[in-house]
Amino acid sequence: MITAGIDIGSITAKAAVLEDGRILGSKVAFTGYNARQAGKNVFEDLLRELDMDASSIEKTVSTGYGRNSVKFADKAMTEIICHGAGAYYLNPEVRSIIDVGGQDSKVLTIDSDGRVKDFAMNDKCAAGTGRFLEVMARALESDLDDFGDLSLKSDKPSKISSICTVFAESEVISLISKGKSREDIIAGIHESVASRISSMARRVGVKEPVMMTGGVAKNIGVVRALEKALGVSIEVSEFAQVNGAVGAAIMAMRL
Amino acid sequence: MERLNDFYEAVSDTGNYIRNLKDGGKKVLGYLCSYTPEEIILAAGIHPVRLFGTEGNITLADAHLQSYTCSLARGVLEGALSGELDYLDGMVFPHTCDTIQRLSDIWRLNTDFGFFADVVLPVKLNTESAREYMEDVLRRFRSELEEGMGVTITDGALKESIEKYNRIRGCLKTIYELRSADPGILPGADVHAIVKGSMIMDRDYLLERLPEVIEMLREKEPSTGAERKRIVLTGSICNHPDVYAIIEKSGGVVVWDDLCTGSRYFEGLTGTDGDPVKAIVNRYIERLICPAKHMSNTARGDSLVEMVRKNNVQGVIFLLLKFCDPHDFDYPYIKGFLDREDIPSMLLEIEDQLPSEGQLMTRFETFIHML
Repeated sequence: MITAGIDIGSITAKAAVLEDGRILGSKVAFTGYNARQAGKNVFEDLLRELDMDASSIEKTVSTGYGRNSVKFADKAMTEIICHGAGAYYLNPEVRSIIDVGGQDSKVLTIDSDGRVKDFAMNDKCAAGTGRFLEVMARALESDLDDFGDLSLKSDKPSKISSICTVFAESEVISLISKGKSREDIIAGIHESVASRISSMARRVGVKEPVMMTGGVAKNIGVVRALEKALGVSIEVSEFAQVNGAVGAAIMAMRL
Repeated sequence: MERLNDFYEAVSDTGNYIRNLKDGGKKVLGYLCSYTPEEIILAAGIHPVRLFGTEGNITLADAHLQSYTCSLARGVLEGALSGELDYLDGMVFPHTCDTIQRLSDIWRLNTDFGFFADVVLPVKLNTESAREYMEDVLRRFRSELEEGMGVTITDGALKESIEKYNRIRGCLKTIYELRSADPGILPGADVHAIVKGSMIMDRDYLLERLPEVIEMLREKEPSTGAERKRIVLTGSICNHPDVYAIIEKSGGVVVWDDLCTGSRYFEGLTGTDGDPVKAIVNRYIERLICPAKHMSNTARGDSLVEMVRKNNVQGVIFLLLKFCDPHDFDYPYIKGFLDREDIPSMLLEIEDQLPSEGQLMTRFETFIHML
């Protein structure tokens, strides 16, 4: 059975196609202004890459904040459910998932059947999300893709105390003017993100093994900072960013 | 629902409703919490109106309050300072949480509505001395009211008022029971309007109107449609009718609540024999408590679990007003009671404005999917 999952996030749209639970391919694109069009585009691009026709897809589930704008999906489900299903598919032993996306972060626990047991989600505030990191990358005139490796070179992370993204940016600017190294500032930013997420994770109660998903999981610096903050090791799969779309395609098999 | 327009109108434009009532010569006292002895106010021939905050922006109140003050206290003070509450002839502050206690001082120093009273209730309700003390406090409130408003409150009037409240509370409970038996007959937003309206509208009018609502519900055909997950809401106040519709859209339905603007308002009847003040004290001592009060180490957790079992509920949503310390401090402990019984729950922190509908839908849909 061939199924598809479409995950429309605040910054990126993701698509994944699975055949009998095997990942055939996945794709990431920017969401932009029109979430509806973004879902259609990323799906069609992926099909083109896979040399497949839309008619060969039996069931499609959409997820993410823009899930209801994907009109061609058979069902819309929340990204929390889909991240649980995706992580369980990648490693059925996983019990906690930390998903950090563009504008929100979520922590969920699943049971031995992959069902969501509990979850928490940030609200009202972008601290501890991908958007926070993007703002900081702009202030540091650095490429966000380099953040992870740069931060690992730091032995003295700077302290970022503000929770508010705008105030944290001013803090970063004053650290730059004090001559702190880019590596230390970035490591400090990662610790700040990790402290936000870990306090939310503690509310839910972290159960090992832990997996991190979402676009921010690609940043090894945040992953290491989170491991330190929570005192656990965290696994990250190569499908971390498309995990929600993979989970949606898994859920589509059950329709 | 068209047939509940009177409730919706009183709730959506309380100022207009109360001003019309005052044209008939009534005096009006505001209050904030379900520990206000409304029976005594009504027995004095005064109309008690519950205040729920403001829908406007907060611009005046913040000069007097810390940033960790809940949106209810901020909104009510804003209404007082901006003139939105100029229909009040006074205000009654029962001492429950710290914020209400401090708001009372700020109110006294910065507003001028005429009558003002603190009702300094005991915190522990399970001792004999608390009972005696509460009795003294209520008697004192009664004489302050008599003196301040130039009225006499006879035992006869107090008993009559108690009977009216028993009937109103009994009707609200019946409406909850009918809804729990068949949630499809009455949308949550309607129940919200009825309960909230019952704290705003003329009590004599309610005595006629609520039985009509019950009659209308009894005459309804049993509802059909998809099975929904049965939810209990627990927390301080719910001033957001949209919450009910979003839960319903996500596949759930609220069948009961443990809210100050819900079951805590109507649970427990007051005795009608003997000393009426003693009878009011008894109700407060026996009624389901709010976390600002103490009854026993397990009273709140046990009663929530019992509420879940009795109403065949699948999940509990904690609807906590941000910065509401009594509820926030109690949350991990109350959640523990549910966890031990394997009752799923989720926490939603709210302020005067709800989070965006997309955010709420994600949480509610996930939670209801879990059940």
